[in-house]
Amino acid sequence: MDARLTALRQAMTQILPDVAGVIGLKCGPAGSNAPHLFQKERPEELADLALWPKYPVPDTLRLLQKAHPEAKLAIICRGCEERGLVEMAKHTQVNLDNVTMIGLACTPEEATFCRCARPYTVQAQITVGERTAGVPDPVTDDFAAKGQEEKLAFWKEQFLHCIKCYGCRNICPQCFCNVCTLEDEKWVSTGWLPMPLPPMYHLVRAMHMTAKCVACRECEETCPAGIPMAIHYRLIARDVQEMFDYETGASLAEKPPQLLVLAEGEFERTGLPH
Amino acid sequence: MLEYRNVLTICPFCGVGCGLNLQVLDGKVVGVLPAKMHAVSQGGLCVKGWNAHAFIYHQDRLTQPLVRRHGKLVETSWDEALALVANRLSEIKAQFGADSITFLSSAKATNEENYLFQKLARAVIGTNNIDHCARL
Amino acid sequence: MAEPKIISFLCNWCSYRGADTAGLARLQYPPNVKIIRVPCSGRVSPELVLRTFREGADGVLVLGCHIGDCHYSTGNHRTAKRLPILIKLLEYTGIEPQRLRVDWVSAAEGQRFATIIREFTETIRALPPFTEAMQWTRD
Repeated sequence: MDARLTALRQAMTQILPDVAGVIGLKCGPAGSNAPHLFQKERPEELADLALWPKYPVPDTLRLLQKAHPEAKLAIICRGCEERGLVEMAKHTQVNLDNVTMIGLACTPEEATFCRCARPYTVQAQITVGERTAGVPDPVTDDFAAKGQEEKLAFWKEQFLHCIKCYGCRNICPQCFCNVCTLEDEKWVSTGWLPMPLPPMYHLVRAMHMTAKCVACRECEETCPAGIPMAIHYRLIARDVQEMFDYETGASLAEKPPQLLVLAEGEFERTGLPH
Repeated sequence: MLEYRNVLTICPFCGVGCGLNLQVLDGKVVGVLPAKMHAVSQGGLCVKGWNAHAFIYHQDRLTQPLVRRHGKLVETSWDEALALVANRLSEIKAQFGADSITFLSSAKATNEENYLFQKLARAVIGTNNIDHCARL
Repeated sequence: MAEPKIISFLCNWCSYRGADTAGLARLQYPPNVKIIRVPCSGRVSPELVLRTFREGADGVLVLGCHIGDCHYSTGNHRTAKRLPILIKLLEYTGIEPQRLRVDWVSAAEGQRFATIIREFTETIRALPPFTEAMQWTRD
């Protein structure tokens, strides 16, 4: 039995009387699990608390807050989910003032599955589970080492199978735009499979994930075609770190680089003529 | 009262039968989440599955039968609608024969509904003209 | 081999005037570049550049005011924040990153404008047409 479950149940039992509910994962029928709002009226549901596979719960918080902005809530979140909440707060999509974060540390297996560099929370008020070190990302590293033609051939093979389900966008904890560029016919044409090249959907999405991707890997998990699109987002995240010294979701105080003017030294690091 | 849960169900569209979760907020379906442990969908969904909730409260959704009177569609009762259809089908069958009527079914209907539908076509009307939306 | 097709986005206040200056001085440069005037280089979004490639451009050139000289004060900061990432993304997709060039030309720099056009046209001429690589191939 996962020791984290016991610790979580304890933390939840303590906090449930003070909040409208705690967002976590609940076991459902046939071995499924899904996000759920645990509430003090139904303490028996705590027995069904689940941990894996994970779901991007930041969007659940956003949904709840849109309908009930004043509600005090708690949320069980892993490292990536906390990063997602922090970024959403910076974009004024969630309000973290009334939210207690219960940080859940990932196991080494879970970290390896997500190829995660930071499988633990840094800001959560309560933490559960033993912190494990971040793991390298061999998939992204191997891809980066490929030559130019190899890279193009790789993506052509992958995007051939894309069915434009929009799953990667729908599941992303950072995709909250009411009017989505990917649904605009000016940029992304509809009605063609395989999509005409260049793959506008994926390239525009990758650009919009700049300084937003929290490396949760939900996009890859939900893709019915198994396309490893996170490779693009993670490579861009490395450039964002290098050029703008910005780590997505690390700190509430740091504003995203695109919202600011060029800082000292940034222009030189962009690689543009200067 | 603030309430949020997910309900595991099957996508109502094609015959694959992907599992998905309907997100229910305060008693209303607000979205879809994939079902990661489902044997068929395995956490993936097609674009129709992702929008399987969209028709529930859609403003264009029919809630009453509509009958065409003087070129305009107007709301009517189920009794009147069914009587009209039954009478007209009998008239057409008598005038033009059973094979002048064709039946188009749907992947959204259950196996049981499709069985009844073809029974209606073959046993009641007496025609083999039955087909399916997937062939359109 | 067909002549390279290049689209250039020039900001109204600096680089477009720079092009005018080149014209007034009767400077020679290759005719492959078609100019689109925009209010500011910061207006040039990644989607716009990608669509330009999709519509058949072999190369895209974005010329703005020098940093610090933007008519809208910090419009070209947007350029400097977004387009370097797009250049990287092209590289990560296996598209030659030199197909997209961002540079800064002031209204008085007619000579510099002509030089950049000349250089960029030769860079793109050395590459295959963009649409050649953008074909689905099945084994």
